[in-house]
Amino acid sequence: MRTIEYLFGPPELAALFWPAVAVGLLVSALCAVLSPLVVLRRMSFIGQGVSHAAFAGVGLAMVLGLGAGSAAGGDWGVLVVVALACVASAVGIAALSDRKGLNADTAIGIVLVTAMALGFVMIQHASEAMRARDEAPGFGVESVLFGSVLGVRWGDVVAAGAVVAVEMSLLWWFRRGLLFWAFDEVGAVSVGVRTGLVRTLLLVMLALAIVVTMRLAGVVLATALLVLPGATALRCSARLWPVFGISAVAGVLGVGLGLVVSFELDWQPGPAIVLTQVAGYVVVRVVGAVFRSG
Amino acid sequence: MTESHEPIRGAGAARGTAAAIEFDRVGFAFEGSGRPVLEDISLRVEPGERLGILGPNGAGKTTLVRIALGLLAPTSGGVRVFGRSPSQARAEGWVGYVPQRTGAELAFPLSVRQVVEMPTLVGLRPWARPGPEAREAVEYALGVTGCGEFGDRPIGRVSGGQLQRAMIARALASRPRLLLLDEPTVGIDAVGQRQFSKMLEEIREGLGVTVVVVTHDLRTIAAGCDRVACLHRNLHSHGSPEGLTPGVLAEVFRHDVEGVFGAVHVDAHRAEECHDPSHTHHAEGDGHAHD
Repeated sequence: MRTIEYLFGPPELAALFWPAVAVGLLVSALCAVLSPLVVLRRMSFIGQGVSHAAFAGVGLAMVLGLGAGSAAGGDWGVLVVVALACVASAVGIAALSDRKGLNADTAIGIVLVTAMALGFVMIQHASEAMRARDEAPGFGVESVLFGSVLGVRWGDVVAAGAVVAVEMSLLWWFRRGLLFWAFDEVGAVSVGVRTGLVRTLLLVMLALAIVVTMRLAGVVLATALLVLPGATALRCSARLWPVFGISAVAGVLGVGLGLVVSFELDWQPGPAIVLTQVAGYVVVRVVGAVFRSG
Repeated sequence: MTESHEPIRGAGAARGTAAAIEFDRVGFAFEGSGRPVLEDISLRVEPGERLGILGPNGAGKTTLVRIALGLLAPTSGGVRVFGRSPSQARAEGWVGYVPQRTGAELAFPLSVRQVVEMPTLVGLRPWARPGPEAREAVEYALGVTGCGEFGDRPIGRVSGGQLQRAMIARALASRPRLLLLDEPTVGIDAVGQRQFSKMLEEIREGLGVTVVVVTHDLRTIAAGCDRVACLHRNLHSHGSPEGLTPGVLAEVFRHDVEGVFGAVHVDAHRAEECHDPSHTHHAEGDGHAHD
C-alpha cells in the first residue's frame, strides 16, 4: 500500500507526505465545526465566492514575486496576500449584499467571476515574466485549483494550527451569539445580540479556514469541506451538539480517507477528498431512506 | 362604548409615571417613497396594560412595531420605552418581541427548550451558566405557554400553533417588561385563539407584563385586550374592544372590503364613535366610500 509506504516508509518520503496529512486533519476538524452553520445559514455560495478570491490572491502573490522557489518567507507572504484577498472578498460580499437592490446571490456572483478573471490574468502574466527570466513559476494553476499533497509544507501546518486554535477559541467564545444569530437574526437583534459582529466574524473565520485549506484541497474544492460534513450531520441528527460532533467525525474521516484514496490512486487531493465526503453523504442519505421505509 | 380620544394616553400620564411605550407625533416614510406609512402617531401605553392595535394589511402595523423596537428610526417625532430610547430598552432586555412570521431557520437542530433558553444566555460570560432566576423564567415561560409538553421536540417538528407558543415563550424567558406580538394568531384556528387569549391573561396576571398585540384579526383583539386602537396610517383609539362598531370596522378595513365587493358606502366614524382629534385620514380626498 502506498499510504503505508509514504507515511511510514523512508523518513525522506514521510517528510514529504506528513505535512499534507497534518494540515488535512487540522483543517477538516475546523471546517467540519463551521460546516453546520454554513449549511443552516445557506452560506455555501458565499464560501465559493470567498474561496475563488483566493485565486486572485495567488495571482497577486505571483505578480508581487512571492512564493517563487521554496523560500519559507515567500510561502508566508503568499498566505498573507491570499488571506487578505479572501477576507476582503468576504467583507465585500457582506457589504454589497447589505445594500438595497443587490442581493447576496448577485454580489457573490460578481465577486467570484471577478476574482477568477483577475487571478487567471495575473497568473498568466507572472508565469510569462518568470519564463522570460528562466525561473520556474511558484505555482501551477492546476495545483492552485485542485490542491497538491506535495505542495503542503511544514509552514502550512504551523499556519493551519494557528488558524484552527484561534478560530476554535473564537467559536467557543461567541458560540451563543453565533447560534442565536444563525437560528433567528431578527430574534437575536431583538434581545441585543450584536448580529453585525457575529456575521462578520463568521465570514472572516470562513475566509481564513478556506485559506489554510486551499493548499491541500485547492480553491475550487475547499468549500466542499465547509458544506459536506454539515450536510451529512444534519441528515443524521436533529440535536444541536450531536450535529456538530457528527459533522466533525464526518469531516475528519472524509479528509483522512480522501488522502488515502489520493495516495493509492495517485489522484489530486482535492477531488479525492471531495468524492470521499460526497460518498459519505450519499451513504447517509441512502441508509436513512432505507431505515425510514423499513 | 368607552373611549379615550386624547392623543391616546391613559391614566398613568396624569400620575407622571413612565409609560411602557410613548409615541409622540411619530411619522414614518420609507426612503424614496413620497407616501408616509405612518402619520402623526401619538400613543401612550400604561405599564400592565393589554393594548390591541387593529389594522388591515399595509396599515403600517409592523412598521410601528419595528419603530418601538428601535429597528427603524421614525422620520418625525419620538418614541420612549419605559422612559428610554427603544434601542436602550431592547439592550436592557425589557422588550420581548414575537414577529409576525418567524424568520427562524427551522431546520436548526434545536429543541423547543433550547430555543426558549436562548435569550437567557445572551450577555453571559462564555463560561457562565444562567442563574436560578433565569432558569425559573424559562420554566415559567415553558409552563404558561404550554410548551413544556413538547419542550424536547426539535423546533422544526412542531405545529404552527406550537411554534408560535414557543416564540412567545422565548420572548417571555428574557423576563421582559413589555411584550410586543405582531400578528400572533395568524393561521391559528378558533380553539387556538381561545387558548391564546387565556394564555395572555395568565401572562399578565403572572408577570404584570405590558402586552401590545398588533393584528388584523378582530377575534384576537376582542378576546385578549383591554384597550384597542385602530391603525391606518393614523392611529385612533376606541377604548375597549366593545367600541369597535360595525361602522368603525368597515372604515378601518375599507380598502379590504372594497377589494372584495367594489366601492361600498359605509356610515363610519361618526363623531359620536370617534372623537380623536388626530382622526383626519378619511378627509384627505383619497376616494372614501362615505365621502
